[in-house]
Amino acid sequence: MGTRIDGLEGGRRAFLQAIGAGVLANAALVPLAWAAETKTLRAAITGYTVIGTLDPAVVKSISESMTLWAIFNALVKFDEKMTIVPDLAESWAVDGNAWTFKLKKGVKFHDGSEMTADDVKFSLERLRDPKTESPYKSKLDAVASIDIVDPYTVKITTKEPFAPLLTFLTNTRTGTQIVPRKAVEAMGAKEFGQKPVGTGPFKFVEYIPGQKIVLEAHKEYFVQSEPKVDRAEIALVAQETSAVNAILAGNMDLSSSAPFADVPALKKNAKIKVSSMVGLNYRYMELNNKQAPFDDVHFRRAVSMAFDRQSLVEVVLFGEGAPANGLIPPGIPAAYDTTPRKTNTFDPDAAKAELKKSKHPASMPVTVVTFGSSWWKRWAEVFVDQVNNTLGTQLKVEVTDDNGARTRIYANNIQAAVWGYLGFIDPDEYMYEICHTKGSRNNRGYSNPELDKLLEGARREMDVAKRGALYKKAEAIVAEDVPVISCFSNNAHNLWAPRVSGFVPLPYSAFGSQFGGVSLSS
Amino acid sequence: MLQFLRYLGQRVGGAIATVFAGAIAVFLIMKAAPGDPAMFVLGDFATQQSIAAFRARHSLDQPVLTQLWLWLETVLAGNLGESVSLYAGRDIAQLIGQRMPSTAFLGIYALLLALVSSLVLGTVAALQRGRTADAAVTLFAVVGISMPDFWLGYVLVLAFALTLGWLPAYGFTPPGESLTGALVTGLLPALAIAAPLAAVFSRILRVSLLETVERDYVTAARSMGYNEAFIFINYVLRNALIPFVTIVGLQVRYLLGGVVVIERIFGVPGIGSLMVDAAFARDYAVVQACALTFLVIVLTVNLIVDLVCVLLDPRRSH
Amino acid sequence: MRWLASIGRRIRGNPTALAGTIVMGVLVVLIVVGPWLIPYSPTRMNYSNLLKPPSLAHPFGTDSFGRDVFVRVLYGARVSLFCSLTGILLAAVIGTLMGLLAGYFGRVYEATLMRLADLLFAFPSFVLALFLMFVFGFGVLNVVLAIGLVYLPGFARLARNMTLLVKEEAYVQAAKVSGQTPFRIMTREILPNIAPPLIVRLSLGFAFGVVIEAGLSFLGLGVQPPTPSLGLIMSDAKEYFQRAPWVLTLTGLGISVILLGLNLLGDGLRDMMDPRLRRREEA
Repeated sequence: MGTRIDGLEGGRRAFLQAIGAGVLANAALVPLAWAAETKTLRAAITGYTVIGTLDPAVVKSISESMTLWAIFNALVKFDEKMTIVPDLAESWAVDGNAWTFKLKKGVKFHDGSEMTADDVKFSLERLRDPKTESPYKSKLDAVASIDIVDPYTVKITTKEPFAPLLTFLTNTRTGTQIVPRKAVEAMGAKEFGQKPVGTGPFKFVEYIPGQKIVLEAHKEYFVQSEPKVDRAEIALVAQETSAVNAILAGNMDLSSSAPFADVPALKKNAKIKVSSMVGLNYRYMELNNKQAPFDDVHFRRAVSMAFDRQSLVEVVLFGEGAPANGLIPPGIPAAYDTTPRKTNTFDPDAAKAELKKSKHPASMPVTVVTFGSSWWKRWAEVFVDQVNNTLGTQLKVEVTDDNGARTRIYANNIQAAVWGYLGFIDPDEYMYEICHTKGSRNNRGYSNPELDKLLEGARREMDVAKRGALYKKAEAIVAEDVPVISCFSNNAHNLWAPRVSGFVPLPYSAFGSQFGGVSLSS
Repeated sequence: MLQFLRYLGQRVGGAIATVFAGAIAVFLIMKAAPGDPAMFVLGDFATQQSIAAFRARHSLDQPVLTQLWLWLETVLAGNLGESVSLYAGRDIAQLIGQRMPSTAFLGIYALLLALVSSLVLGTVAALQRGRTADAAVTLFAVVGISMPDFWLGYVLVLAFALTLGWLPAYGFTPPGESLTGALVTGLLPALAIAAPLAAVFSRILRVSLLETVERDYVTAARSMGYNEAFIFINYVLRNALIPFVTIVGLQVRYLLGGVVVIERIFGVPGIGSLMVDAAFARDYAVVQACALTFLVIVLTVNLIVDLVCVLLDPRRSH
Repeated sequence: MRWLASIGRRIRGNPTALAGTIVMGVLVVLIVVGPWLIPYSPTRMNYSNLLKPPSLAHPFGTDSFGRDVFVRVLYGARVSLFCSLTGILLAAVIGTLMGLLAGYFGRVYEATLMRLADLLFAFPSFVLALFLMFVFGFGVLNVVLAIGLVYLPGFARLARNMTLLVKEEAYVQAAKVSGQTPFRIMTREILPNIAPPLIVRLSLGFAFGVVIEAGLSFLGLGVQPPTPSLGLIMSDAKEYFQRAPWVLTLTGLGISVILLGLNLLGDGLRDMMDPRLRRREEA
């Protein structure tokens, strides 16, 4: 799946929550008069107050993605077991560099036109066009050409075998949703972003800035029995707690998250349903590998072994998460190793021994950058406290805002910073992008040729199990080098009212794409 | 009259100069802050190239003074420009227009609540001077002013929304959609802003009334045998209101400051929350526009208050 | 010593000031001595004691790191009061200087300095502080600076207006005629005479400075951890408000008590310093 960022968004959300900002859209407060005849699904996206655009090629925030997943489809999608299944494509085949997708026939866009191979080619090439300025452009960097075989067959040729491609063509944060060529060309990209037209279960009706997006059922949706409701309204609720209160009060049906602290109490409440599972995300300590003290592998190892990841989860996330054993979270079983790795395990004696080997003294002042004021900030505080207690080091916390933190991390203008990514579904997105010398998320100056070679090989390996084994090997190297300090993965939650049925929770919050099967009892 | 007009001209000119100086100051301040709108727009997918392209497209790679000039040109053309990151591509004047009614409604709602309650409390306290009612009002005033508005917001939510369930905990219906909805959903945020204001106002009104009661014309009216209620309304209250209104006008600066925080806590989609969002997204032009709006409001209110004073007491224009 | 006795007599005669003195007296004792008497550290985390509700051992409960909230509030009050006091003193000193110069010399001084004050004054109070935090980053010193700038224009205006009034008084004119330097006139003749209203403003502003600090920290823009400030404690508590409402509400109550004390004291001080009001109280 596309990378769903968390630094930025986590920060914004953190900020909003910290100050208790809360928007509960009008819809939730004033029931519509005709609610008796029309079934409206009232969903809340928490932590955001802004939708800038709904053009899949250029969306950036998770709130936008969650919304457009209800409006668009991609060639393929993930099912609840996290395997890739057909969506707009009926079937596909891969042969070395060539991927052939057979499209479903008779799929209608919301404007009534039919979706064909031409639209697929247009959508993907548009993403690759530098003029589009798509943040997802790099997802298709491996592609050499996109060809129309016939109106219902598309052939994508890569420069070399590229296993992650299929993940990048799912209806996730990849920008690879299929848009109608005619409508986009007629409106222009900017207007299309304000009046999106897709093939999805819901049609766009209107966006009331800062409040909600109104959608209505796409009557000609290609999945016969869906959608099961007439309308969907997606409210932008700045604070998670407000969405909880709204569901409890019967003013909201569904929420995209839950406040960690309140999950135990909510699970006991009959008026609300809670799903909680370890999410597809990775929270880690970003380190500047070029600057003292983290330019020294011994110092990095010492710090990594100097704190208890389980207690971090208990204190920071109120238990709603799992300690990290590497970069890849347990949600990707093929590449996840259950055997604890030495440097990812709390071991005070080993940590002190490593520190003795370091060329830097414990007394060296170290600043850990964090941002916002929610668990991101508390995470840094607990981390610093534990490491200092174990090693007698002089770590301290510096709080800034998310934009400032991101700017500094990208410029490697830090010593250490809390950071993380959310919604990576392909192991390549964790390992290659974060740790490869040319990885797009490696700004820290880390480079290990042996690891690079392994990760390049994994990109060419089409067999899931064999590929997984390669990533486990790569993880072992990373655990030796400790370029970053893995901390935890937090749980993904959804909340819904008892009148909602057919909502299937996923470890990544697909949200909008989960609306199709939802039905409401009165 | 001519003198008054000259005074008016000077004041309006001064106000406009202040607005521009303020906007320029905000521009320079925001530019000095670390951060980059490209980071907000490109997020995790930012690369050296895409950042450079973004900065070039939005003239962010130009010298600060050039950028300032570009912005001033836009404004002088009667335009507020386009949002770069937060609502990328949208017209800022339109954004402000959409947000303005909520902020104005909340501000006026709070002001009215504060005024009405302080008129009642201040008058009662002055009339009952030295008795229990007076002491009660004084106590309210001191306690009221001792509660930070954001904390009061939470306490009100805890009491009226979470415990009693009378009012919604969060959310705001803009007055354009439903006036009743706005009155109901706006009550708690307006109360949180109004309580400390009401405390200040009622104290001022009480003192002002007490001072007026001792004036010669009141004594004169009393000696002419008018009844007390008539005297109070026509002589005391009317005269006491003048300094009161002046001080109320000066409070607009604090009122707006309160609105910014409270909008965030209750999720009111107003100018205040727009400005904070924009500041976090480093959407400079939007921040500027919001600051400009605030400056215009404060200065207009100040100007009106001053003009009222001058009209009442022409000596002031010298 | 005589002036001390005289102040004491005046405070006793003024119930507001008396109440304020008592509240602040108790608070100051608590804030200064309290942390020594309480066996908990304000920063040391205790993972086995998370989010405990108020009890005898922990009158304000514990926070999400297992720290005693009461002791953190006491330390936090130190930080908050320090920020406010320093900030407002900064504003008072610079603002008074600006106002004195503008009022005494007029012309260019007045035009420049008062324009600057007008400009600062045109910003909604909190907005100004918010901008400053973005530029200077977050931390105690920057909070002080932000509070100072918010108050600066008020002091400048008041000082200028008072100077204009006093300047025409006979004793100032006499000093001028006798050839005293402007510096000497300003410090010896004018300043003592314009001081009372400035002191009153200072004492009343002290309370609002605490509110600004709390608001900034509450938004996550203020003091850096682990330094506890009142706003920071509340800001953290927001995340688990529903689960442990005592942390936010009791800390807020703490702020209210401090503000109550400061406001009562400020009011009392004003009554004592404003002869007109005092006369009425005596009448």
